[in-house]
Amino acid sequence: MVKKHMKIDSHLDQIERVGRFVQEAAQDAGFDEMESYACELAVSEACENIILHGYGDDSTGEIEVSVRTEPDNITIELWDDAPPFDPANSPIKLDPSIDDPPIGGLGLVIMHRVMDEMEYNRREGRNQLRMRRSRKPPS
Amino acid sequence: MEINIQGYKRVTVVTVTGRVDSVTYSEFENALQAELEQGKVNIALDFSGVEFISSAGLRVLVNARKTVKNAGGRIVIAQPSQQVTETLEIAGLEVLFEQFPDRETAIAAF
Repeated sequence: MVKKHMKIDSHLDQIERVGRFVQEAAQDAGFDEMESYACELAVSEACENIILHGYGDDSTGEIEVSVRTEPDNITIELWDDAPPFDPANSPIKLDPSIDDPPIGGLGLVIMHRVMDEMEYNRREGRNQLRMRRSRKPPS
Repeated sequence: MEINIQGYKRVTVVTVTGRVDSVTYSEFENALQAELEQGKVNIALDFSGVEFISSAGLRVLVNARKTVKNAGGRIVIAQPSQQVTETLEIAGLEVLFEQFPDRETAIAAF
């Protein structure tokens, strides 16, 4: 098992760093290029939600990221000090068959579709979001 | 992100390279908006060089599609990179955008 850590300020231009960090970890765990990209995308959406909707106008916040990898598995944990928000159990709605889809909540849709499990906890006044994905067999 | 715009007789080709994310989406949105305001409602997006597109970029696409559709136009995607295809499929939006394997075919479709 490999564990890695990083921290960013709550600025949108920092998200790319987290994305690459997670993408590299996913590749190390044996995920292929597009599965690693999907993990990068999901964690980027999670960070964007925290920065825009959690911290909002507060640009002094931080997001702590820890990634744990085992062969064929990745677990990503995000910690932040923004007001409580539970993306793991937020309702998501997107019906691709309709012609004019609602575009709010797209980030949540992506997170839920990429990850096999999402778990939210409020601990010691902080938000903890844990996301896990296993490598999919080639189709 | 870089944006290049080429006007053809019946279609405008907007080529985007790099990342379309929460930092850069407004630049993409403004570029499309400028074309739409000039009445150019047939758009082919060359996405062969897009390395990353997040929900912020997808929102621009969905909004632009709605605008051109209301104006009697079309917006299609030419030569999507693997990352674009993957993101559209994950979000379940691939059915909304006609896709072409290369820009010549996309241009010929108008």
